[in-house]
Amino acid sequence: MLSFDPATLPESSEQLRPVIREFIATNLPAGHRRNSDFTSGHSPEFSSALGAAGWLGMTIPERYGGGGRGFFDRYVVTEELLAAGAPVGAHWISDRQTAPLLLGHGTQAQREFYLPLICAGTCYFSIGMSEPNAGSDLAAIRTTAERVDGGWLVNGTKLWTTGAHLNHYLMTLVRTSPPSENRHAGMSQLIIDLNAQGVHVRPIDSMTGNSEFNEVVFTDVLVPDSALVGVEGNGWQQVTSELGYERSGPERFLSTFRVFLELVRLVGHNPQGDQAAAVGRLASHLLSLRRMSLSVAGMLQDGKMPNVEAALVKDLGNRFEKLSLEIARLAAPIDCDREVFDQVLTDSLLLSPSFSLRGGTSEILRGMIARGLGLR
Amino acid sequence: MNDDINTEASSLDDSAQSQRLLLESAHRLFGDHCDKALLDSAERGEFAAELASKLAEYGFHRLAERESGFALADVFALLKVAGYHALPVPLAEWMLANRWLDAEADDAVLTSMGQRRESAVVDVPWGQQAQACLAVTQDGVLFKTEAGTWTSSKNSAGEPYDALHDSELVAVGCSEQPYELLALSRCAMAVGAMQRLLEMVVEQVTMREQFGRPLARFQVIQHAVAGVAAEVAVAGKAHDGALAFLNTDRQRDEIAIAKARIGEATGIVTDTVHQLFGAMGFTHEHILHHYTRRLWVWREDFGNEQYWQQVLGSSLCARGADQVWPFLATVR
Repeated sequence: MLSFDPATLPESSEQLRPVIREFIATNLPAGHRRNSDFTSGHSPEFSSALGAAGWLGMTIPERYGGGGRGFFDRYVVTEELLAAGAPVGAHWISDRQTAPLLLGHGTQAQREFYLPLICAGTCYFSIGMSEPNAGSDLAAIRTTAERVDGGWLVNGTKLWTTGAHLNHYLMTLVRTSPPSENRHAGMSQLIIDLNAQGVHVRPIDSMTGNSEFNEVVFTDVLVPDSALVGVEGNGWQQVTSELGYERSGPERFLSTFRVFLELVRLVGHNPQGDQAAAVGRLASHLLSLRRMSLSVAGMLQDGKMPNVEAALVKDLGNRFEKLSLEIARLAAPIDCDREVFDQVLTDSLLLSPSFSLRGGTSEILRGMIARGLGLR
Repeated sequence: MNDDINTEASSLDDSAQSQRLLLESAHRLFGDHCDKALLDSAERGEFAAELASKLAEYGFHRLAERESGFALADVFALLKVAGYHALPVPLAEWMLANRWLDAEADDAVLTSMGQRRESAVVDVPWGQQAQACLAVTQDGVLFKTEAGTWTSSKNSAGEPYDALHDSELVAVGCSEQPYELLALSRCAMAVGAMQRLLEMVVEQVTMREQFGRPLARFQVIQHAVAGVAAEVAVAGKAHDGALAFLNTDRQRDEIAIAKARIGEATGIVTDTVHQLFGAMGFTHEHILHHYTRRLWVWREDFGNEQYWQQVLGSSLCARGADQVWPFLATVR
């Protein structure tokens, strides 16, 4: 059965709130269109200011340029950034995923090179996992890395690669051995420079009208030996060991938070009964989810591997994000100035199909939960 | 039984240990008594007198008293266990009445509690079997009742929810919010009952075979059960959250969150679980409905989702949009 340990943010983490709020108020780029979705703003200027202020790589040891802090400190800062609708897209993946991965599995040289840059907010990673014929079925990837003198020769195509047209590196899952009976064997992770020769990045227009994701084609890309992360053939284990971090964070239930906030502004201090109920319903969901998310953060802090619990938080959180738009749009008054509300509602609605696709589809997550319950 | 219930709460090792022992003995006692036969006889109107006297023997009815050595968190943890076994005794009312009447009460007698509606007191669980009866209002006033005329009524779970008429009501001073704590009692019972349903449905889909294989082999079934597990987990967290804010200025908001969210979870869990049990679960012979029907009663008792959503929403809106995030971010 699943277990969600009790967790409370320590007072020392709470004390970061006024500081980060002040930082956001001062550094939010002029004219930035606020949105709580973590993909909806790519600002190297904002990210590097965050890094300079010590708000990135917070859990990374100080000797690599990090903050040497705990998960809860990072939790407070990330949720404050999302709630404020700050542009976090540039550094998001490298800070959340790449830095802990390199700390756990990277070579000493990789740690010393990449971690200080990530912590400074000047080095951005994308994740190269999905492919044209490997979506949810990740083990079906075909991108190959063939051993050659001095490194690896990479060929293949990655798809739906968020931010690859803007970021510097791709943490790429490749086949270093052909598929065998054990479908999860023979995969490895390579750091590929997105500006390297033979790498072709093609932005893909999405239904939002922007290009959030890309197709990345590798044609005989020579990747040095030093780019292998962790152990050759251990890629699957490395990827799945990070799922707890990836799936239970505040970005899994706060994506539509600005819509909620603007709804409260629209209905005012004395709302009608049904409008108050809509606001209350949203808050009851959001706060319950936040407690579960904090619980997973606490378990990660304690060195546990709550992958199933994290999957559950993401599934519930994504469902809430979609539900929240339905509740908010029907509760919003009509005869008033709705400019900001309509803007965040539209932005969020257009992004909403991606909520339960990115980072593991609902179907994959529910399969994991079912396995956790002993059903498969 | 899920670990979540057994290892709940207190940060102090001693109190955690005493809570663990309390819940273990409750599980044994309730489990020994609350079988299908007892639930059926309760539904025929026969009060579980032997079980009630056992509860008194164990001292459970005095657990909420201030001198009991237990905290309110222990009381609600015990109510989760009561919900897990569909205990057909008004233990929540009995414990809380003894807390609020304090030394005044003869705490050995069974005291129940209902809601004041005009001159009557309605929805009194086992009112005619109780020797004393209190009444509460939505705005939190507590009354003692005198002798009056009882009429029989049942809730949709078949349990007596009697009404008392023509009784003199005497306001009793109470330093707590009776309506809120009674609402929270229903949250605790619902969380326990839903955890039981999750265990039952996991067993059901694992054992039951159709098309030559266990139901659990079908992906559509796996996903449905995963949905139940998610709602049960979120309900448990919502309840625990409210406990963390008891006796603070946020108690009302936090109980609103719990009652509203657990009410929503109830609808999803009962619907899915009934679907997965098929026609068998629709029969009276099956034990499933003793839980699902109680859950439907509890989500209406002391304010349903809509009521508490409005309480919470009004409170948030009154703070204003700029205070919404600062409020949300201070959750424990």
